[in-house]
Amino acid sequence: MRYPVKKIILTAVFILLFLSKAQAAARYISLAPSTTEILFALGLNEEIVGISSYCNYPPAVKNKPRVGDFSHPSIEKILSLKADYIFCTGLEQAPVIRELRRLKLKVFVSDPSNIEELLNSISEIARITGKSREAAVLIDNMRRDIKAVTSKVSAIQQGKKAKVFVEIWRDPLMTAGRGSFIDELITLAGGINIAYDLTRPYSNYSAEKVVNANPDCIILAYMDREMPLKLVAGRFGWSDINAVRNKRVFNDINPDILLRPGPRITEGLREIYKRLYPKND
Amino acid sequence: MIRDLKRSLFVLFLLLCAAMILATIKGTVNIPVADLFLKENQPILNMRLLRILAAILTGGGLAVAGIALQAILRNPLAEPYLLGTSSGAGLAAVIAVILGISRLYMPLAAFLGAVASILIVYNLSRENEKICDKSLILSGVIISVAFSSIIVFLVSLFGNEAMHEMNWWLWGSLQVYDYKLVLLVAIPVLLGIFVIYLFAQDLNAISMGEEEAIHLGIDTQNIKKLLILISALITASLISICGIIGFVGLIVPHMMRSIVGPNHKILIPTTCLAAAIFMLGCDLISRTFFGPLEIPIGVITAIIGAPVFIILLKRKKKAT
Amino acid sequence: MSILLKIENLAGGYYKEEVIKDVSLDVVSGDFMGIIGPNGSGKTTLLRLTTRILKPSSGKVYFRNQDILAMELKEFCRKVAFVSQDIATDFSFTVMEITLMGRIPHLKRLQFETKKDIEIAEEALRLTDTLRLKNRHINELSAGERQRVTIAQALAQEPELLLLDEPTSHLDIGHQIQVMDLLKRLNHDKNLTIAMILHDLNLAGAYCNRIALLDKGRIFKEGHVEEVLTYQNIEAVYKTVVLVNTNRATGKPNVMLVPGEK
Repeated sequence: MRYPVKKIILTAVFILLFLSKAQAAARYISLAPSTTEILFALGLNEEIVGISSYCNYPPAVKNKPRVGDFSHPSIEKILSLKADYIFCTGLEQAPVIRELRRLKLKVFVSDPSNIEELLNSISEIARITGKSREAAVLIDNMRRDIKAVTSKVSAIQQGKKAKVFVEIWRDPLMTAGRGSFIDELITLAGGINIAYDLTRPYSNYSAEKVVNANPDCIILAYMDREMPLKLVAGRFGWSDINAVRNKRVFNDINPDILLRPGPRITEGLREIYKRLYPKND
Repeated sequence: MIRDLKRSLFVLFLLLCAAMILATIKGTVNIPVADLFLKENQPILNMRLLRILAAILTGGGLAVAGIALQAILRNPLAEPYLLGTSSGAGLAAVIAVILGISRLYMPLAAFLGAVASILIVYNLSRENEKICDKSLILSGVIISVAFSSIIVFLVSLFGNEAMHEMNWWLWGSLQVYDYKLVLLVAIPVLLGIFVIYLFAQDLNAISMGEEEAIHLGIDTQNIKKLLILISALITASLISICGIIGFVGLIVPHMMRSIVGPNHKILIPTTCLAAAIFMLGCDLISRTFFGPLEIPIGVITAIIGAPVFIILLKRKKKAT
Repeated sequence: MSILLKIENLAGGYYKEEVIKDVSLDVVSGDFMGIIGPNGSGKTTLLRLTTRILKPSSGKVYFRNQDILAMELKEFCRKVAFVSQDIATDFSFTVMEITLMGRIPHLKRLQFETKKDIEIAEEALRLTDTLRLKNRHINELSAGERQRVTIAQALAQEPELLLLDEPTSHLDIGHQIQVMDLLKRLNHDKNLTIAMILHDLNLAGAYCNRIALLDKGRIFKEGHVEEVLTYQNIEAVYKTVVLVNTNRATGKPNVMLVPGEK
């Protein structure tokens, strides 16, 4: 009867430790589509135990439990999920953040206003989730994609740069000014945002100003996607705008990649560049 | 009395021309007058002219609709949106957004919503084919509140998009992109104003009271129904292109009544012109005061309208 | 002596109640008729039925042998005018504007008033002694002045028959006499037939030539003043004790109240 008692005990301890470690796998909740995309891009999936109803990318989100909408997530649901960390953005989610912190939950707010800050945010999120290696790769790829566009842009003379009008909403007419991601993307893609003098990131704009500025391209970046081109092209007084005359009004860029401060922003950059300078591609 | 009418109309017409000229040469983009008529600036000129047309239609239409309702309901607080048109239009717009109906049909949806709510209000307040003034007002208020609550409910369910849509509705805008719509709407609005003017004599009698009007030979029930319907049509048409613009239909009739008197034969044409001037003024302010930003016109009419209303009220208190 | 207004077995009222049960009455051209009766007897309802405000449930009203409901409303209003108790002051029309509204039954829809209309209105104002008020606003006037303007508006309609609903109830005795004298003058000089609801039995007695006494939706007694204003009739209808003697100034019956408590 020479059972290897020591070995059995050691194995048991190992198994127990292993099981407990598995049970202690991280649990994360993401309250914003942008942070969801970042988490998935860092290679997390099982760890994501809750997302907002607005999160729609990547496809894997279909099976994830929802904790509510963007501005009013269910605190109860969040609590019940026992997350280790909650990721969200600033702005509208501020009251929620206050409440969560009051309940002693760990909250990380990702609220970048430009690409550099976005990349830093990704690094931070990676540090918290232990995915720093994956983040380095992701950031590297993103920088490479950006460089691919900016190097081509550097060859374009200032006078030959395309004037762009970005339409965020139609009634009232709204566009993106300095401080918005889209504005940065347009500049990086070699375009000139006709609303460059607006100091607010998102603001009303006058139709007269658009006609007067005569943009070469118009990009429709609505949150809902079904703005037919003819409704823009058919606007009274707009028919002589360069963009309309040359049929360079675009509604086919997925607004998520233009408006969302996430990993796909470089894709957005590429799409904008392709439309601004189709011949250079 | 005819002499007064001619003189007032003449003065108002001059003011209107001045306002139209001002609205043409001023805008968010600063273009020197000399350059305004160059070919390259023609689109902007056209856009401004279209806006001027929208302002005149909206001012004249809402004010005359307001006059008709004030006389019919014998209530100085009556205004075009009293009978539920505004919330009906807004609800229809929100539902259209939620159902994913194309933007193309938004004005139509709003129009139908406004008309639907008038029909509901009318039926609620009917007693045996007769219109009861107080029931009409009460039903209008109830339906407005009910529809507004449904709007809020839907917006909270369906979020940001629907909310965005509502903002425009609530405060209105004279920025109409489709000139054909403006021309289309001009038809019922101008016709409506004309028809209401035709009934000026009847409105005089009706404003004395239902029975008093019958004693003077006025077929009050039918005329009330007709004029309420026409007011509603004017209002619904204007909402469908410009959203909800408050105060015009309430303030301008009151202002003009204290200047030219309650005789509708004079009141209607003068108020029509005065309201057009008022709208042009408010629109100019909304376009030029805050740079490239456009303040929604309903905000301006409220900011100007409210103090004017208070002044009028104080004057009235002093008089009585 | 033609019959101007013929009310035949008229019955009618409001939603739940038929206030007028069965009334037949003739108003003869040149009459100055008083309609009296206790509260709830249906006096106002009767007038409303006669001026097309209410539709009867049965019976008919004829003006010069024409069914009034078959007439065009404006045509009817050119013949029959109504003076209400008071005029609405929601909107501050001027006295002239209000009187001119009396011309509406004679005007087509968009027609502006002609010089003739203005003359007729001014004549009406003169007759009611309100010409000097013509540019004043109606809500600035006293009750007596307003009442006379109401009459002026009705006179501007140039009616053959004038119906009035208690035109003197808000007025003090001086103004009461003034208005009644005016009406009597119009009745006499202009041959204007008048039928009016009166509260004051003595005014009725002094001015009217015929009286209709209404009780519970029916005519209790109708005829000459002396026939109707008897203490038996009044006590039967008003359920209160009265003494009736003769007014020494007018020679007409005078009704005196007998208080129940001293």
